[in-house]
Amino acid sequence: MSDLSETEIKVFTDAVSHYFSQLTREPAAVRGAYLEREGETPPVYDYSGRILVGGQFRGSVTLSAPRAMIRHLLVALHEPDQSEENLRDTVGELANTLAGNARRHFGEHMEISVPITAAGAFPGSLAARDRRYVIMVNWKTYNACLVVDIERSN
Amino acid sequence: MKLLIVDDSNVIRQRIARIASDARLPPMHIVGQARNGVEAVQMVRQHDPDLVTLDLTMPELGGEECTEQMIALKPALTILVVSALSDKATALRALKKGAQGFLYKPFTDDQLVAALQEVMLP
Repeated sequence: MSDLSETEIKVFTDAVSHYFSQLTREPAAVRGAYLEREGETPPVYDYSGRILVGGQFRGSVTLSAPRAMIRHLLVALHEPDQSEENLRDTVGELANTLAGNARRHFGEHMEISVPITAAGAFPGSLAARDRRYVIMVNWKTYNACLVVDIERSN
Repeated sequence: MKLLIVDDSNVIRQRIARIASDARLPPMHIVGQARNGVEAVQMVRQHDPDLVTLDLTMPELGGEECTEQMIALKPALTILVVSALSDKATALRALKKGAQGFLYKPFTDDQLVAALQEVMLP
């Protein structure tokens, strides 16, 4: 097992910034990125989307965001349907896009799953790493949290 | 022009459907929206589309195998891959399997219009 470098974590912070900049012309700001501390859990908001990672890597990428942020994003996308289904779909698609974009750096051997979504937190613990990378994101007035729990498997 | 939209995200399918009505594009008739590769292949068989927008990461049957099966059914089918998978190898493989274009997510309305115009060039 080997760790991700600071440059590789930046791949994810750049992907978050690019996503919002591209779709809304207003980039998301990264408020902080840190290694999870023992006994602490990253913030969880109304909706979470998770991508499982396999191949030469193992773990997951999880984005958790508040309902108001996802609704605002749908407005920016001219999407009038703000049903529960579409809110969950959007947070899953966002997680999928961030993980997919990371393959520009990690290559095709970082295999990614289809998104799974949850209202709030995912049940149970799935941590691949002892201490996960936590990236706090701000877009407009909303805070969201991206948790990168990936390590190389060879 | 008969269009089939294939993506496991409902929001993305709706967004592509809206952008496909853009005045800069030839008139398009959306013949179906599929949530996975299996549905997509069935819809190609049923509706004989001219153009498909195709996600790659989907449940049941992924986009690469789906491309092969759709091309086997209709060799003249035009396929625009719309995917977040941003490594070069994936894009090259999709093109080799028969797709005509590749658009990375996240995409703007203008980028999708331009990509559709490009793959529809005679």
